[in-house]
Order: sequence, then C-alpha cells, then structure tokens
Amino acid sequence: MSDPEAPPAAFSTQPSRAGRRLRRVILVAFLVAAVIVAVLPLTLTEQAADANLDPATLGIDFAINKSIVRAETTIAMFIALAAAWNLIGGLTGYAAFGNVAFFGLGAYTVGFLTDKQHLSFALALPLAPLVAAVFAALIGIPLLRLRGHYFAIATLGTGVAVGEVIKNIDAFGGGTGLFPPILRHADALFFYLMAATAALAVAATWLVLRSRFGYGLIAIRENEEAASVLGVNTVAYKVAAFTLAAALTGLAGGVFAQWTSFIDQESVFPIQYNVQMILMAIIGGAGTLFGPVAGAIVLEWLILTLAGGGTNAVYAQIGLGVLLAVTVIFVPRGVVDFFGGSSKLSLAYLRRSLRETSV
Amino acid sequence: MGGAAVTLLIQQVVLGLMLGGVYVAVAIGFSLVWGILNIVNLAHGALVVVGMYTTWYLFSHFGLDPFLTLPIAALALFVIGYILQRGVINRVIRAPLFFTLLLTFGINLVLINLFLVWFKADFRSVTTSYSGTGLVVAGVTVPYVRLAALVIALLLAGAVGLFLNRTRTGFAIQAVGADKDAAQLVGIDLRHVYALTFAVGAACAGVAGGLLSTIQAISPTAGEPYTLQAFVVVILGGLGRVSATVVGGLLFGLIEVLAQSQVPGLGAGWSNAIAFAILVLVLVLRPQGLLGRLA
Repeated sequence: MSDPEAPPAAFSTQPSRAGRRLRRVILVAFLVAAVIVAVLPLTLTEQAADANLDPATLGIDFAINKSIVRAETTIAMFIALAAAWNLIGGLTGYAAFGNVAFFGLGAYTVGFLTDKQHLSFALALPLAPLVAAVFAALIGIPLLRLRGHYFAIATLGTGVAVGEVIKNIDAFGGGTGLFPPILRHADALFFYLMAATAALAVAATWLVLRSRFGYGLIAIRENEEAASVLGVNTVAYKVAAFTLAAALTGLAGGVFAQWTSFIDQESVFPIQYNVQMILMAIIGGAGTLFGPVAGAIVLEWLILTLAGGGTNAVYAQIGLGVLLAVTVIFVPRGVVDFFGGSSKLSLAYLRRSLRETSV
Repeated sequence: MGGAAVTLLIQQVVLGLMLGGVYVAVAIGFSLVWGILNIVNLAHGALVVVGMYTTWYLFSHFGLDPFLTLPIAALALFVIGYILQRGVINRVIRAPLFFTLLLTFGINLVLINLFLVWFKADFRSVTTSYSGTGLVVAGVTVPYVRLAALVIALLLAGAVGLFLNRTRTGFAIQAVGADKDAAQLVGIDLRHVYALTFAVGAACAGVAGGLLSTIQAISPTAGEPYTLQAFVVVILGGLGRVSATVVGGLLFGLIEVLAQSQVPGLGAGWSNAIAFAILVLVLVLRPQGLLGRLA
C-alpha cells in the first residue's frame, strides 16, 4: 500500500510488491520444511537397518521419529484427499460429499486382494484406483445430472451405502473386516507412497488447471448452461473430473489399507473424512492449486496435535465443528485468498465476507 | 398356509406404515426448512437426538410419561432452533448452498460431541409400563407406542399444514419461500421469519425425537441415519407440501419393511443401502418427487 507505483489493492489482480515478497518467503520456508519432512523417514530406516533391532529396543528417539513419520503420512494422505476433492468440488463446483466411498473402495480392493486372494501389495495397489474410477464413472453418469443439494446428498448417500453393502458381504470380511499381511519396518515406504499419491494429486491439479479440460471445468462451475452452449461437453467433462478425483482418492485408500493392515467399514468409510477433505480445501482455498495442500497441512496438524485420543478427541471434534462454522462465515474464499496477495486479512475483510452472505 | 402368509403380509404392511409414521415425524421439519430456506439441514438428526434426550431426562428424572414430554421437547427445540438460525445460519444464507451444507454439518459435529461429553456414548432407553405391549387384531399385532407415534406424526403434519395455510405467520413464511425479495418489499422481516421457520422445523424434530425415544435406544449418534432418511422422504414425496411429506414418509416406511422381509438376502443391516437405492431411482426417474411440483 505504501508503494506509490503499485495500483490500489482493490483494483489489482496482481499481488503487490510486499505480497510477492511474502509469497517468496513462504515458498522458501515451505521448500525447507518439505526437504526436512522428506528426509526424516530415511533416518528411521537407516537406524533400523543398521541396528537390525526391534523398534522397542531402539529407544525414545526412534519412537518419537516413528510417531512423527506416522503423522507425516497421515497429513500426506489428507493432502491427496483434499487435492482430489478439489478437482470435482473446487474446480467443477459440484459439492461432492461422498468421496469417502472411493477411499473405502480403494482400501477394500487392496484388503481383499492381499488378504483373501494372497496377491502381493505391489500388484494389488494399482487396482485400487482402477476400481474406484470405474465405480465413479458408472455412478457419475446418473448422479452428475443432479445439481446443488441433490448432488450433495446423493453423493453423501453413496458413501454411506457403499460401506454398508460391503459390510454385508461375507467375501469382503463382513463385520470382521480384512487383514492385509503386515509389512514390518515399512513406515518410510508408506510415507513415500502416501507422499507420492499427494504429489500425484497436486500434479494432476496443475496439469488440469493448465489444460483445455481445466478451463472447461471452471466454465461449468461458473455457468453450466453457458459452458454447454460454448461447446463444452459438460457430461463428459464432469464425469472425467469425478473419475479422476475418485482414482486419486482410491489410490490413497489402497495405500492406507496396507499401512494400517486392518480395515473395516468404520475405519475406511468414516463420514467425517468427507467433510475433513472439503474443509481442508475450503480453508486453504477451493479451486486453487496449493489451497488444499495448505489446508490439509494446517488442519490435520491441528487435529493430530489436539486429539491425543480419549476425551481429547471429543473436544477436537467440537473444535473442528466450530472451525468449520467460523471458516464458512468469515473466510469462505480460504486463506490463499489473502496470502495470495489479492486481498488482505483485516477486520474489514471479515466484515465484508460476513455482509456478502447474511440477511 | 395361504392364510398365514396373508396375515404375515398384513403384519408387515402395518409395521411398514408405522415405521413410515416415524419417518413422517422426522421429515416434516426437515422438509419445511429445505422448502422455505433452501437449506438442507445436516444437523437435523442431531436436533432429533436433542428431543430424545429431553424426553429421556424428563422421564427418568421426573417420571413424566414420554408422550406428555412432547410439548416440552418441542418448546426446547423451538428456542434452540431460533437461536441457531438467527445467530449462526442467517450469516451464510446468501452464500452458495454448499456453505450452508458445511455449516450445518459443523453444527451437527458440535452437537454430537456435546452429547458425548454430557451423556457419554452409553445407550439409554425410555421403557414404560405399556412398552412392548400391543393390540392384536385377527393375528396382526399393533404395538401401542408405534401406533401412537403414527397418530401423533399425522397430527403434527396436520398442525404444520394448518399453521402454514391458516395463520398470518404461516402466510409470511410461505411468502418468503416463494420470493424472499418480494416478501421483504411488503414489509416482512426476513431475519425473523427465517429464524421462525427454522425454529418450527426444529420443534418438529423435537417431537420426532420424543416419539423415537419410546421406540429405539438413545445414543449421541442415534439421529445420524435420520438425516439421510428425511432427505429420501422429501425426494420421494416431493418438496414444498406437507401432504407430499406424509405420502413420502409412509411409502418409504412400507418399502423399507417390505424390501427387508420379502427380498431374499436383504436384512436389517441394509436400511441405508435401500434408502440410497430409492433416492437414486427417484432422482433419476422423477426428480420432482411423486407429488411434487417442478422447481
């Protein structure tokens, strides 16, 4: 604002000089953090391999590192889920409330193939996104004809119903669940797999945002009739975005199944995942490239820190609900909106967001 | 043989209609809020649970008959609903619908976890002297509490219908539902009418919760299935009329009981899947519902 050459913030779509500097600082800090995060799991395996010992005898450092890597893996998983949701919810503007169905399907694909069919994890994993994608394409054709609330609740119902159907089929473990054979000392492997899934989801978003396909999706979000008139094959585009999101979500589910080595309906079809991934994308900034990543890191870190388990988990859930309400009311465009430089976080910003949407 | 099969079928139809009564009670408030405010209230199930706990508390601490607690549950929920809408949901009412979905989900999350803090995850029940007894007519059993639930649900639907079509406030609510800007132009206070509509919807949820507490176990998450089921009822009947909700609810109850008892392989664990199948079928084949007008 103090810079005389910069255009008034209100009319500028380009970030100001201060905004650009802030962005550079954030980017560098992010890269440094990313390198540390990426290298940490290596220390874990080296230590384990060198000592060739049971984790229990490796001491407290190892245990702490192990739990950090576990947390990193969880965060990477939610980056993948939020970024995948962003493709259908953020870019296309379809309020998908049931992506957990694809997560669960991916998890059950790996669980079923490794536990019941004794396939190796490496062979089973590629089928997880495939199954989720095929299911999404089939169900997407009727469901994506619906708009607004109808689509939201229909997808919410999908998440619930798929979990229930699978629980009722004995071949898939029924009420007992499935037990993929445990891979020992593989914490680093699962972190890198999950991180790769997250990177794949972000890369896919990057590619989509730069493609004709991405412009078509945004056109659908802004005005579906107009997009259709302009020659966008809206049905094909929507189903493709839904299927892509499902494949990425299913892949994360597949990795999750082998990572936890036990899955049942409750662990891989949790309804709150639906909303967590949406909240992450919205807090960060729906429709943007890094919004879901930022949202997933911040929110999942908060959840992991607050919820030590036991009674704390209840208060963490209450906090999550309150955060959801505050976000929706005050920062509906996500934090990327003001850290990106086009607007500033101020009381006026919060008041404007509030006034725009209230009666 | 034939006679027994017919009796069994009649028994299932009776049970289906009574289950439908429960669905009618749950869906009336949900339908009202959706139709007028254009909000799909994902916290509806949690509001039903508030009603359940209200009845349970009055029954177990003061020995009040569960059916006598219904007005108190309705009143409590009316107040909670008014505050929720006026204080919170009104803030995002002009935002894309997606945000109201997220907001009501957030409210749902907070309520469920508050129940967990206050009441723990224990299952509670309201068992009266007449629980488990019923009328037997020609071999068909009609459980008293379920019969009462059906009758009260229909009375509730009638009361809401009369309120909307016979009172000034009801007209104001309908006017806001039809065109909120025009309603504001003729001097209707939108903020108040929104809050009032949500409050009436919540009060209906309270009555539904009170009725349900005599029928099923009470726990913090007991209301969760009812949000999806209320949605299915509204889709099935059609949005915008109380009578459509009644037809949708009764039909949904019938379909569920008959599908679970007549279709081999389907059992009690399939109720969400059945609800979802109906939902998708109706949405694809007849999106305006069986009795609905096109939006």
